[in-house]
Amino acid sequence: MSGDRSALHPGAWIVWSTSAGACAFVTTNPVYLLLLVAVAWFVYAARRVPGPTARSFRIFLVAGIVTMLVRTALVLLGTITISSTLFAALEGLRLATILVIFGTFNAVTDPFGVVRLAPRRFHEPALAAALALSIAPRTVASVQRVREAQRLRGIRVSPLRSLPALAVPVLENGMEDALTLAESMDARGHGRGRRTRYRPQVWSPVAVITTATASLAGAFFVWAAVGGWAELDPPVAPLGWPEVDSWLLGMAVLLAVPGVLPESER
Amino acid sequence: MRRLIATAALLLAGLAPPVASPSVACASEGPHAALVVDTGQDVRTYCVSLGAPSVDGLDLIRLAGRQHGLAYSLGFGGQAVCSLAGVGVSGDDCFSEYPDFWGYWHGNGSGGWAWSGVGPASAQIGDGDVEGWVWGTGDSGASHRAPPGLAFDDVCEPSGGDDGTGSGGGDHGGGGGSGDGGDAGADGGAPVASPTPTPSPRERERPRDRTRPSASASAAAPSDEVDIRAASSPPVDPPGGPPAGLFLALAVVTVLVGGGVRQLRVRRGAT
Repeated sequence: MSGDRSALHPGAWIVWSTSAGACAFVTTNPVYLLLLVAVAWFVYAARRVPGPTARSFRIFLVAGIVTMLVRTALVLLGTITISSTLFAALEGLRLATILVIFGTFNAVTDPFGVVRLAPRRFHEPALAAALALSIAPRTVASVQRVREAQRLRGIRVSPLRSLPALAVPVLENGMEDALTLAESMDARGHGRGRRTRYRPQVWSPVAVITTATASLAGAFFVWAAVGGWAELDPPVAPLGWPEVDSWLLGMAVLLAVPGVLPESER
Repeated sequence: MRRLIATAALLLAGLAPPVASPSVACASEGPHAALVVDTGQDVRTYCVSLGAPSVDGLDLIRLAGRQHGLAYSLGFGGQAVCSLAGVGVSGDDCFSEYPDFWGYWHGNGSGGWAWSGVGPASAQIGDGDVEGWVWGTGDSGASHRAPPGLAFDDVCEPSGGDDGTGSGGGDHGGGGGSGDGGDAGADGGAPVASPTPTPSPRERERPRDRTRPSASASAAAPSDEVDIRAASSPPVDPPGGPPAGLFLALAVVTVLVGGGVRQLRVRRGAT
């Protein structure tokens, strides 16, 4: 399975993740948020690009859960009531959802494909952004490589004691990665004004549909937030069941469209 | 509960268009929003006529000042609320008495409150909305005191609703008169069913009695009617159980998660 077959145009994924993130950003309704997490999981499962970046979904899922717990624990600093705890938990859930969507974006797209989208003038900042985006999955992949190497050499891997032994090669790896990347980009003429269009990225019908449905869903949620025609923040004082608007429900499901579209169309 | 209201509303629409008129009549007078100001010592409520399909949260306060004499002052270049009803900050720095400040809440129309994520200048308030301001401490909905559980009808119902029914009844009075001949038998039954024999003004808002017998002459109709009135008075009844949409959403989540797991398995099998 070549990594390129299931890859959509990175622009489509940028629109998808921005829209999904906007949906999560405007609501603290746990129904919509859990729905968005489920959608992200579905899209990740259908569209992930094999390789080290595919792990980033799990990394960001864990990070999201930790974030949510920390946000909820912050309640301990103030007055503790059911309402305040729930409010904090819902805010944490919103943050976690955004992180999961970001993790999905990382898992389904190649960060350096994103760099190629940037206009030449913004190439350097885009490269920096791509490196920053991919640092978490690359670090984890590097940790795993080092661990494996240690195990192969018969070094007992106890999580705490081996930390220094782990950190140095991981940092070294990161440095090497960055240098390799810089060299390879230099060799291909990046930053010198002559860029080759090697394997140009095309806007396939699937990418267009993904972009259209995702932006529709994002626009709908933002419209609901600005227009105030749907309850996006469930009542916490007193507690009440969150209302579910069937339009918004449908729009959130629309974000799952890239997960059901045919995988290879090239 | 939601379904009950829906069926009640359907029944209502089918049986008696004029009964639905309290809310409709209110809308025909122009959009209204309820403003709840909780100063910590007392709670004031204002039913504000918007004069436009939607206004922002600052306009609502200005309108309440113009229509009901609510004293207010804004600060930070007119973008923040400094004082309401004589309580708050007198200068331009609305947060000079921090941690006490005016917390901003959006009501759900039936007594529930959600902390506003945006300032009043960015909030859009339309017909039937409930807005709350509470003087107190706390940075968020987690720690700030929420306004008392007031529904839209608690603030806006009394005069608007009655007027609406009155005028609605008046409109339909002529029709009722013309249909009186066929109505006589049904009217004879109605007072028996209703516990309170009603005087003439009530008779006037009773054109629904005229339509009811034609729809169903059964004895169940009066009890239905009682249900309808109880259910329809708050437009959004606080649901006793989870709304139906919740289960639908849950089903969708299950399908998506299951579909994802299946896809992962298929792909793992393929490689």
